[in-house]
Amino acid sequence: MVKVSTPVRWLLRVIAVGYVFFLVAWPVSLVAIRTFEDGTEDFFGIFTDPNTVGALQLTLMVALWAVAINLVFGVTISLLLVRYEFPGKRVLSALIDLPLSVSPVVVGLALLLVFSGRTGWFGPSIEEAGWQVIYDSPGMIMATCFVALPLVIREVVPVLTEIGDDQEQAARSLGANGRQTFLRITLPSIKWAVIYGVVLSLARSLGEFGAVKVVSGNITGRTQTATLIVEAKYQNFEQTTAYSVAFLLAFISIACLIVVAFLRPQHEEA
Amino acid sequence: MSIDVTGVTKTFGDFVALDNVNVSLPTGQLTALLGPSGGGKSTLLRIIAGLDTADTGTVSIEGVNATKLPPQKRNVGFVFQHYAVFKHMTVAKNVAFGLEIRKRPKDEVAARVDELLKLVHLSQFSHRLPSQLSGGQRQRMALARALAVEPTVLLLDEPFGALDAKVRKELREWLRRLHDEVAVTTVFVTHDQEEALEVADEIVVINEGRVEQVGSPDQLYDEPANDFVMGFLGEVTNLGPMTLRPHDIEVSTAPLLAGAVEGTVSRVVRIGFEVRLSVLTVDGQEVMVVLTRTHSRSLGLVEATTVWLTPATGAVVIPSMRPALVG
Amino acid sequence: MTSAILGPPADTVGEPSTGRAPRRRRSARPRNTLTPGAGLGLGIAMIWFSLLVLIPLIAIIVTAGEGGWDAYFQVLRSDQTWAAVTLTVSQAAIVTVINIVVGTIIAWVLVRDQFVGKSLLNIIIDVPFALPTIVAGLVLLSLYGPESPLGLEWANTERAVMLALAFVTLPFIVRTVQPVLEELDADVEEAAASLGATRGTIVRRIILPSLTPAIAAGAALSFARAISEYGSLVLLSGNLPFRTEVVSVRVLTFIENGNTQSAAALASVMLAVALVVIVGLDIAQRRVANRG
Repeated sequence: MVKVSTPVRWLLRVIAVGYVFFLVAWPVSLVAIRTFEDGTEDFFGIFTDPNTVGALQLTLMVALWAVAINLVFGVTISLLLVRYEFPGKRVLSALIDLPLSVSPVVVGLALLLVFSGRTGWFGPSIEEAGWQVIYDSPGMIMATCFVALPLVIREVVPVLTEIGDDQEQAARSLGANGRQTFLRITLPSIKWAVIYGVVLSLARSLGEFGAVKVVSGNITGRTQTATLIVEAKYQNFEQTTAYSVAFLLAFISIACLIVVAFLRPQHEEA
Repeated sequence: MSIDVTGVTKTFGDFVALDNVNVSLPTGQLTALLGPSGGGKSTLLRIIAGLDTADTGTVSIEGVNATKLPPQKRNVGFVFQHYAVFKHMTVAKNVAFGLEIRKRPKDEVAARVDELLKLVHLSQFSHRLPSQLSGGQRQRMALARALAVEPTVLLLDEPFGALDAKVRKELREWLRRLHDEVAVTTVFVTHDQEEALEVADEIVVINEGRVEQVGSPDQLYDEPANDFVMGFLGEVTNLGPMTLRPHDIEVSTAPLLAGAVEGTVSRVVRIGFEVRLSVLTVDGQEVMVVLTRTHSRSLGLVEATTVWLTPATGAVVIPSMRPALVG
Repeated sequence: MTSAILGPPADTVGEPSTGRAPRRRRSARPRNTLTPGAGLGLGIAMIWFSLLVLIPLIAIIVTAGEGGWDAYFQVLRSDQTWAAVTLTVSQAAIVTVINIVVGTIIAWVLVRDQFVGKSLLNIIIDVPFALPTIVAGLVLLSLYGPESPLGLEWANTERAVMLALAFVTLPFIVRTVQPVLEELDADVEEAAASLGATRGTIVRRIILPSLTPAIAAGAALSFARAISEYGSLVLLSGNLPFRTEVVSVRVLTFIENGNTQSAAALASVMLAVALVVIVGLDIAQRRVANRG
């Protein structure tokens, strides 16, 4: 391996640490400081404001639905992509990654064009059937599903590829049917990948902003999520509340990161 | 017959893996499917197990037409080259898997697992995870797992291919003894002719998707159907218009017999107790001869010695197909 | 039929003999190995994927084309929109260049250097991925905004846009280069050194070329993310027309004004960029896989 001379090594180290410190570490820690500079009262105050509590509940409900849907969809698509051959597989596997590079605003617009109750392609007929998608939770769940779509798949596909199908074939030859093979052999082998995927999806879902802003209508007390509250409160000069909710969201997402970081190395070799 | 394969053809894209294969495997015997890698023998085994499906043709197991049955309904035991152990289960759980799927009572499962682990000498490892076992132990566990469900036939796909030479030799002797004890119809795939000759009751030689010959080890060695089988089962060389084994050539230092081919020793290599000669005949053919060290010394063979070669009496000799290419 | 093989063929032990080694070239025609159950699963998954992703994205393209080419170009050529496009593309390009340099340095430090706090650095790199974008904006505002402890007043300027884009795209190049650098064979570097290559030469001729595909992939992802960014800019950039307004904000303004056709026209351009990146990545990944 190339040995870098000491001054160069220090230079690279300072650039790397300095960049990350000024761009990420210091600003993030300032949010924590701002939140608690007048004690913990302001922070816990957010739990007494009905609008904020409602927004937090709504965020959690939307995120849990989106994660559950993406979990089932993600595991199914991963199995199909790794274990089967079918026409169009390569196109599908490339399209799956698309949501990662589409702007959240464009996601919102796309859903609006199809599901809007007044002008959408399918919206009016769905509305006639008694469902409202846009400006209501189904649309918010869909928007969240869209942006977090590839996360489970990106975790599960490499693991499925690596374990191969030997164990599944052995189970088949021993008399297990498809369902038994999946539950007893495949699922335990991909368990940790699925858990990482779920944790990452949860972090992404709780924090979605742009797409949800477009499809929710941002109606205070009804379709306003936690991230939308942060924007609204900041712009209303209720900075303390904005910082408190932001801190809560940052805390949850960083906790998710740390959980994944600590779980991953222990199970990588298994 | 325990397994009847009739007219089986299998293609992958435009690659023909099996080309109208017909073979019958007898009950209770240990049969080897022998052939070079990529010759189609593993594909045949997987089609018998139901892990692959044939494009055309039928497979019947113990008189039952199994062509359309999924693997879990065929009651076959399958042992994979890379063990295919269930990594997240203990050794005992691995062995119990097939019985639990069949919903056998708990105490019966426990008793059967005990019995099988004893049979494969893994009793003391029953609570370990497979990752704590050596390759040979894992393969014995996989064998116990396959035997646990009392399969009609036991199929082994290159079972010792991933093990090192010493363990491989031990395990194949052990497999032979195990088969004599358990007496289940067993088919194993190998590309190692020594393994097939040593272990099997019957050998099916498969090459380029076709069956070349079926017979006992002795039959195959002594009466090869063609030069491929002869060449695959041991070394061959050409002497004039004949193909024969290098140790079946008599060497003399004088023209004693009529029809002996005259030549000059061009190279002498000694490997342990045997001496290998390259002899350049007067017709320009290079012949390989193997003889014992004692014999070679008594004849005083060194490079540039003039010798006369004749096929030994009782040697297996077949006409060589392409004299220009061999030698 | 038979070939003239002398003795047993040179067959390597342990080579998986699945009987599938191609004798002739296998056809590239996709096969179909779906079982009925898997086919049903694929069907349901595809219906959901179509409803959620494909049909809505097609709707954007259809809506964008409804007014014909003239209307389409009119939207893109309007001064305010054009200013937003130039700003977004130029800032995204600047940020991508910064990421190529700094991201590669960070990856190098994480893999090849040893110091106290390295594992902490490794975790912090992922924070921009996990942090909600609106929170990211607020976070940056606290250091670079009105009450900045550094005395920097970057809010509502072009610098704020750059800052936000740099924040959200930080992990891309680090996380694509890091694994490649980890797997780089030390043997190759030692071989080069034994052949007389200096450190500079080894870095330039051995290490950087093997990292190039990963850097390119990371750069593409980072550029795509940068031009589509919205949430982190809302509070930080002030969304001033002609000065700090990016494309996503422009799209949102069109939506809020009920002008869905203009919104769709602009969105279709962003979608095209995203598609180019996806296709480029797919091709690049296949090329790398073939080389390895």
